[in-house]
Amino acid sequence: MNQHPIRILLADDDEDDVFFFKDAFLEIKIKTEVNSVKDGVALMEYLNSPNDPIPHVLFLDLNMPKKNGIDCLKEIKQNVRLKDIAIVIYSTSASDEDIEETFVQGANVYLKKPSNFNTLKKVLSQVISINWQYQTSGLNRDNFLLQL
Amino acid sequence: MFKMDYKSFFTTNFLVKGIFVASLVILIFISGISYKNSITVSESSDLVLHTYKVQVQLEQLVSNLIDAESYQKGYIITRDSSFLMPYKNSNLKVKASLKKLKVLTAANAHQQSNLISLALLIETRFLLLEKTIASVSQNKLTKDELIKNMLLSKKQMDIIRSNASRMINLDNLNLKEQQKKYEHEISFTPLITLLLLFFSLLVFIFSFYKINKDIEVLKKSNLELLITTESFKHAEEIGDFSSWRWDLDSNEFTYSDSQYHLLCCEPQSFRPGINEFLQFVHPSDTHLLVAAGEALIHQGHYPTTFYRIIRKDGKLRYFKSLGKMLTDVSGKRIFIGINSDITEEYLNSIALEERNRELEQSNKELASFNHIASHDMQEPLRKIQTFISRIADNESFGFSGKAKEYFTRIQLSAERMRLLIDDLLLFSRTNRIEKVFENSDLNALLENAKQELIQSIEEKNALIHAEKLPVLSVIPFQIQQLFMNLLGNSLKYSKPGIVPNITVKYQLEQQLIIPHVNIDPHLKFHKLSFSDNGIGFDAQYAESIFILFSRLHTVADYPGTGIGLSICKKIIENHKGYILAEGKELEGATFHIFLPA
Repeated sequence: MNQHPIRILLADDDEDDVFFFKDAFLEIKIKTEVNSVKDGVALMEYLNSPNDPIPHVLFLDLNMPKKNGIDCLKEIKQNVRLKDIAIVIYSTSASDEDIEETFVQGANVYLKKPSNFNTLKKVLSQVISINWQYQTSGLNRDNFLLQL
Repeated sequence: MFKMDYKSFFTTNFLVKGIFVASLVILIFISGISYKNSITVSESSDLVLHTYKVQVQLEQLVSNLIDAESYQKGYIITRDSSFLMPYKNSNLKVKASLKKLKVLTAANAHQQSNLISLALLIETRFLLLEKTIASVSQNKLTKDELIKNMLLSKKQMDIIRSNASRMINLDNLNLKEQQKKYEHEISFTPLITLLLLFFSLLVFIFSFYKINKDIEVLKKSNLELLITTESFKHAEEIGDFSSWRWDLDSNEFTYSDSQYHLLCCEPQSFRPGINEFLQFVHPSDTHLLVAAGEALIHQGHYPTTFYRIIRKDGKLRYFKSLGKMLTDVSGKRIFIGINSDITEEYLNSIALEERNRELEQSNKELASFNHIASHDMQEPLRKIQTFISRIADNESFGFSGKAKEYFTRIQLSAERMRLLIDDLLLFSRTNRIEKVFENSDLNALLENAKQELIQSIEEKNALIHAEKLPVLSVIPFQIQQLFMNLLGNSLKYSKPGIVPNITVKYQLEQQLIIPHVNIDPHLKFHKLSFSDNGIGFDAQYAESIFILFSRLHTVADYPGTGIGLSICKKIIENHKGYILAEGKELEGATFHIFLPA
């Protein structure tokens, strides 16, 4: 596997979900480094601070206090330093409007939070194993929503 | 109809005027001819008189000459100088006659030259007479000379006489010629006059007939007008409206009786006019009417205006004014206006609008409540299920037999809860999402629905046979959802051990009759029928199965939420159609969908 661990950042206000997320990565046999922030403002602070290295993959919840996921997504995509981070929308709901908007704003994958821990482990390892360079080269509307 | 009569009335008017002008021209013509005739007659008599005068004068001239000669002869014979006086008189008379003749023949060059030669002859004659008289008075005259003179005198006199009679003849000839010409002229005029008189008689008879006929038509249309006016009056009363006219050129107004009734006034109790009417208009609405009037004057168009009226009895009423500008044949601009008392309609529509707003509001609240509730309920449920999955994976080894069973039941309940929430979300979405109609091939939508259900279809080896479906303007994803729900329903409620057989039929329904439902009999419907050979249902539940959460079976027998058919109904309602269920227990069910054509 990779010499360097994959840096993963989760932006989610829900403690339980953060708990599941981190647990799942502990059980996945891929070398990762998982961090989390509690809201949109904290996320942007984290990303803009020079001390914290830029993550490879960002998991972004849409419903967050202070600043919601869509706003964060727009901000990141407008920032030259951050625009290449692979972004996975990680939300409870998967309404057509949300899927459409996040796709248009440049998110890479839309992942609906699963209600089974095994499924969660499976999809997370699947997402991590994506060859991002290939994925980002041509945006594909059909593969955007990750089918569980 | 009215317009045409109006026009023909005007053409008749023109015709009558034309006839009048023609008659006038003919009369003037006849009097002209008469005048000319009388002038001709007087000219002719003048001429006769003139000729007569010339004749008399000439004869007088000759007789005076003869007189002079006889006095001269008297003198010669008697040598009495008393003869010389009358001789001189005659000489003077001859000269006067010559002068008169000169005046009389001034218009005739031929006669003038005749007269000049006559005057010369007379002068020569007098010269001879004078010479003879002079010779006699000096006693120089010899007998031979006298005889010679006498003979010359006779010769001279003969020439003068013949000259005079030639002149008379010429004048007579002239007279005859002229008279012939006049006679010719006059002989024609009685015929022309008679013809013209006859013609004008014809014209007068014709115009009399025409006018008489017009009067009959006028009488008839007058009667019709009376009936129309009367019925219009009643119509105004029944319909709570009034009519008014505005002659824009003279700025005069005419109100129907109803206009006064609408204001609660006695008919024609005040002079119609802008200011008089504005007194009844609610003070804060007068500007609306003033603006409308200005628009009419400047742009020739009167906008439909709504305003309030305070009637004479003090009651507030809502009015509507509209109208049309007419221009008549003479170019006069007349505005025809209609005022209606729309108070009842207005208040009703206000109430309706209010209720509509309330309904819309409550609908919106319900939809958003539904959406938020189902959406927010998903989150805790997902966590419960995730925790359940963790316990089931890692911790369930230590469970006792009972605990294991309870735990499985918890798992099932949680799963069912998730299904309910998912379906509820779907249901609320069919209502909430924008309804975009597109021309869609229903065959393709049915094929998509089958693909979504492919796993279940293959599992049960189900047979699905569909007739050719039409292309319709529908909300595509909703119709696909409908097909999916109906096919899914048939697959789910299939008879155990028997291959499900689903048929989809299509036909155009000319008229749709559903008991207790009011449907326009002129509307046509596309009818789609989904029939299966499943477990069916008791006909008494045909309506209740579409109610939200209503179920005919236990969850254990047939898992489900009771939302699927409600969604179907909602989708069909979104398309302004109808869905009916037909069923017989243990024999199968048929769902009929009617979409407006």
